[in-house]
Amino acid sequence: MSNEVTESISSDNPTAKAFTLTSAFWFAAATSLGMIGAGYLIAPDFMANIEYIHFGRVRPMHINAVLFGFVTPGLLAAAFYYFPRLLRTELFSQKLGVFSAIFWNITVAAGIIGISIGHTQGREYAELPWIVDIMVVICFALVVFNILMTIRQRKESILFVSIWYTTAAVVLTSITYCLGNVIWKPDTGALLGIPDAIVLWFYGHNIFGLLLTPMGLAVAYYVLPIATRSPLYSHTLSLLGFWSLIIVYTHIGTHHLLQVPVPTWLKTISIVDSVAMVIPVMIVLINLWYTVKGKLGDIHADIGAKFVFTGTIYYFFVNIQGSMMALPHVQRITHFNNWVVGHAHIGVLGFAGVTALGGLYFILPRITGKPLYSKFLADVQYWLVLIGITGFALVLTTVGLIQGNAWYNGETLYRTLPEIQPYYILRASLGTLIMIGAYIGLYNVIRSLYFNRGASI
Amino acid sequence: MRMTPTVIIVGILALLAAITLTVVYWPYATRDITPSEIFRERSSIENTGRKIYLQNGCVYCHSQSIRSIDWGHGAERIAQSGDYIADEPIALGSQRTGVDLSQEGGEHPDDWHIAHFINPRYTRPSSIMPPFQWLAMERIETLTRYIQGLGLKDADRRMERQIYWKQEAIKAYEAGPEQNAKWLSEIVPEGWRNIPNPYPTTDASLHRGQKIYQNFCIGCHGPIGDGMGPAQPWIYPPPLNFTILKDRGISGGILYYQIMNGITGSAMPYFKRDLESQKIWEVGDYVAVYFINQSDANTEPRGIDAAWEP
Repeated sequence: MSNEVTESISSDNPTAKAFTLTSAFWFAAATSLGMIGAGYLIAPDFMANIEYIHFGRVRPMHINAVLFGFVTPGLLAAAFYYFPRLLRTELFSQKLGVFSAIFWNITVAAGIIGISIGHTQGREYAELPWIVDIMVVICFALVVFNILMTIRQRKESILFVSIWYTTAAVVLTSITYCLGNVIWKPDTGALLGIPDAIVLWFYGHNIFGLLLTPMGLAVAYYVLPIATRSPLYSHTLSLLGFWSLIIVYTHIGTHHLLQVPVPTWLKTISIVDSVAMVIPVMIVLINLWYTVKGKLGDIHADIGAKFVFTGTIYYFFVNIQGSMMALPHVQRITHFNNWVVGHAHIGVLGFAGVTALGGLYFILPRITGKPLYSKFLADVQYWLVLIGITGFALVLTTVGLIQGNAWYNGETLYRTLPEIQPYYILRASLGTLIMIGAYIGLYNVIRSLYFNRGASI
Repeated sequence: MRMTPTVIIVGILALLAAITLTVVYWPYATRDITPSEIFRERSSIENTGRKIYLQNGCVYCHSQSIRSIDWGHGAERIAQSGDYIADEPIALGSQRTGVDLSQEGGEHPDDWHIAHFINPRYTRPSSIMPPFQWLAMERIETLTRYIQGLGLKDADRRMERQIYWKQEAIKAYEAGPEQNAKWLSEIVPEGWRNIPNPYPTTDASLHRGQKIYQNFCIGCHGPIGDGMGPAQPWIYPPPLNFTILKDRGISGGILYYQIMNGITGSAMPYFKRDLESQKIWEVGDYVAVYFINQSDANTEPRGIDAAWEP
């Protein structure tokens, strides 16, 4: 850690620890919920007639647990570690940080239990009932306040790229969350008719574009240069990548609605910008990959950096795929089927989730002052998640092509169901690997945080 | 460019404001709220049913948006923005793990839906929808009202047809097997009634017919064709007991027509979209051979034998 400026900053960081534990816990919980959903797809009478976990409820529970329980807190844990380091100051308030982590868990739990007992607004990615929406906004506001105040008291005048991205992510998401959940209409949390779909997908895509992506990239920008002891390749590319991401990503939500009666000019904007996503993505990847060029050995040696670097490769895949999927001709086949489910898993788990795990493993030794409880278990988790998500990508893409082509050929949905069942079985098997990985990770995190007898670094 | 906190905060907020104005507010401000020709307001029970639909995540598997390319699903009516003007939230859906429902109203009579909610495999053996028996009868019936209104005015027209023919089907059933068989024959257009199944019965055709029967028919008509499938307790008139049809003049053409077109009013759906011609002839012959024990396959008038016939 010789490159880091550590001399004046306390290594005790209860906020980062609290968010680390939050993320590891919800990863295990969310994958368990996902497994229940996968079970229903194979055998719909499995756990039949249990109201609280039937497929229509367990699916949004899984998604909300992943987004707001696992990935966002995981990326925040790293942020609460690198903000003080990069700004050469203490975190504005550890008490506020720990409180926000606790409140975050209460919020996610309230949302999940709410959906489970039927309190949902029935809008994909915006299910949470109004009261929980308010709690989510408070969560983000607490984080925004803490990091802005930390920036204010900084002793380092230059702001590193990771600071830009994470600040933008939490500030903008506080706003888009309110917009997307139509928070000024507590009853339905929705607009009337087609505009509701437009605002929903503007927000829905920005959960990825303005929250998970910038925070994931922030972790990559922080971890990769330190792990390889290399300066960042280019400041200019960092700037271009940052501003082009904010501009381009926010335009593309309507590509979810290309086959729906929304204004054609809006569809055109979303298609053009979806293709243009190649620009912010490749700028950032060129910047990061050139930074670590020739130093893959260092990345391999650091389990945190290994996860993060893998995340950047998935970032490449998910975005090339995303640009392609926004083309209307491609979407005739890919829309409405498992291809999209595969795409979502590649993005949220393959890129953002894997990067969040990398952030956790990178900071754990640094916030506990001891080596990781088990590097072996972390490696096992790495391979389980990697095999799981790569398999997911292959299987779900295959199923999507089967479904999409059959429908486009004029076959009815019922005819395709028996064909795709074997793939649902494969998918659940691969999900089992990911879930086992999540539980191994949770065990490793708990041991590293609280029951680690290893010598101090 | 020097990235100070002010540059970052002011920059991102200005961009977000400008972009939100363009891609969210502008489409909202210029939205078209003209009702489409099928639009009508939902009744209060339909609205209650819609709440049950949203609460239970039906929207994650069922889209409500027929596209121009959905010709397999029967793009009789492609979605228009005027169909959705009363929907808050809109429930377009993003996945078709199950079928699109935007024109579902009146596709089936109520009892078909009730049996389907109790266990979807009762009426659709290859369905992967989980059972909704736990909703209990009151909510299942409310939800059914919503489903039967999907398609709005188009759905109302289909429902009128369902209700009229349900009365007729009940009358025929209650008049006894003889009358029922007669009614089932007479509702088929004259030309079809005199057509025997043009293809010979073979081991292979019976096996194929059995496979189709298991995937599409067994839930109502039961494994031995006596109409005692698991859906039977929920459906009235009950599923047809094929064994009563012997010596009652049921031709291959009648079986074909009824499978193809369904019997509107009864729970018997049409299968013309799910099954191609050969599959319909073969499942018809399977029923004739095994359950009616009387098949006219490959009898006169038979035309020229198809090239593949042995």
